[in-house]
Amino acid sequence: MSKAGPKRILIGKVGLDGHDRGAKFIARALRNAGYEVIYTGIRRTPEQIVRTAVDEDVDALGLSLLSGAHNELFARVVELLQQENAENIVLFCGGTIPDKDIPHLQSLGFRRVFTPGTPLAEILGALEAELAGKR
Amino acid sequence: MDTLVDRIRQGDRRCLARAMSLMDSAEPQGRRLRDSIRRHSAQVPWWGFTGPPGAGKSTLIDALLIRLRARGRRVGVVAVDPTSPLSDGAFLGDRVRMMRHAVDPDVFIRSLATHHSPGGLSDATLHCARLLELARFDPVLIETVGVGQSEVDVADVADVCVVVLGPGYGDDIQLIKAGLLEIADLLVVNKCDLPDANRLLTAVRQEFAAAAGTDRPVEVVGIEAKSGKGVDELLDRLLELDRSVRDTGRRNQLQYRRVLGEIKRAAMLTYQRALHRGLEDGAVRELVDKLARGDLSLESAVAQLSATVAGAREDAPD
Ligand SMILES: Nc1nc2c(ncn2[C@@H]2O[C@H](COP(=O)(O)OP(=O)(O)O)[C@@H](O)[C@H]2O)c(=O)[nH]1
Ligand SMILES: [Mg+2]
Repeated sequence: MSKAGPKRILIGKVGLDGHDRGAKFIARALRNAGYEVIYTGIRRTPEQIVRTAVDEDVDALGLSLLSGAHNELFARVVELLQQENAENIVLFCGGTIPDKDIPHLQSLGFRRVFTPGTPLAEILGALEAELAGKR
Repeated sequence: MDTLVDRIRQGDRRCLARAMSLMDSAEPQGRRLRDSIRRHSAQVPWWGFTGPPGAGKSTLIDALLIRLRARGRRVGVVAVDPTSPLSDGAFLGDRVRMMRHAVDPDVFIRSLATHHSPGGLSDATLHCARLLELARFDPVLIETVGVGQSEVDVADVADVCVVVLGPGYGDDIQLIKAGLLEIADLLVVNKCDLPDANRLLTAVRQEFAAAAGTDRPVEVVGIEAKSGKGVDELLDRLLELDRSVRDTGRRNQLQYRRVLGEIKRAAMLTYQRALHRGLEDGAVRELVDKLARGDLSLESAVAQLSATVAGAREDAPD
């Protein structure tokens, strides 16, 4: 094993929408790319997700959401991460996010915002760049 | 190091989580931490859960968590999933069954990957369980990947050993025959809501009845982890076993077995690495030639190789 093992990523689903094909697809792709992936399952609260991210000491947290209520829920996740002093966790998100919301999410601290149709290779490349040199 | 240990004892979750990450690392800080917590260990019993993937181990742990919490216990969980043989990645899927405990301050769940460890229980499992003890979680529950040798490995570290089976696995009875009898304290047949479970329950009971009269009778319990049916009774049995383990006499035995297993695994790894280096060494060529020509016996060749390997030890870490 290398000095530090594989990077760990939590894929979380907040809000009420019950579709997680996208989240599971990403989770599988990340596993195949060599990450250790933890998935929260659907309909989680920001509290559950942040607690899990901290306890599992993940390097990155990816939020997936399709229902459009991302602004408030995502902001709450960021707020809780700050309360936990866990801003070292690289944040990204994906889902049906309108272009106009992207700057706001970025200002909240989301390093990458992936909209539907982003090629997998691009997602993997972006995460690798974000996580390089961490730990 | 002492301050880290102190902070974990005081209940600092963040420190606990970071320390667990260190357990997998080969860096000096990780090594020192592993050595410094050993003496605090073996205060509380560890309950091991093993059995084939899909049998319902995670679901059962979730059901037990609810009930242990209702009885006021603070519970730690280490859940191990396999590292993919193709990438170094892993999908750590146990936790998703336990998410309702995510915000409970008296539950701590940590997912680990095997990192190709053949026993299905990476050594980090043992170290993380010790950290949970240090943080005053009691009991500590360990879920194995349930394949390969993990059933046997879990016996090295767990003090109460539960084997979970479910209907739908053709080789269940094979598993039972392959040494589970020796390690299981309790055998759980899960998914008793499914028709095939009764057939399995009968088969397992017959198998164990055949072994009755031995010094270690194993109880067979049928449950439905998902609905919770039978889980209260199972927990009562587990708590009884837990109490019997707490007799001081057995506690020393626990520590002895855990540490012995640790030395065994670490030593095997060290020798294995040394052997691989020895086999890459140029001198091995000569040995092979001599052996092939009939100028040397296999025993002498192995003895000479062992001498070379022992002579060229890697730099001792401390
Ligand atoms: N029918 C039925 N399914 C169950 C029961 N317990 C667990 N399962 C299901 O079995 C599958 C595997 O469960 P899981 O706990 O992940 O198994 P593990 O791989 O042994 O940890 C899941 O789909 C569970 O919902 C049960 O009592 N009855
Ligand atoms: Mg499981």
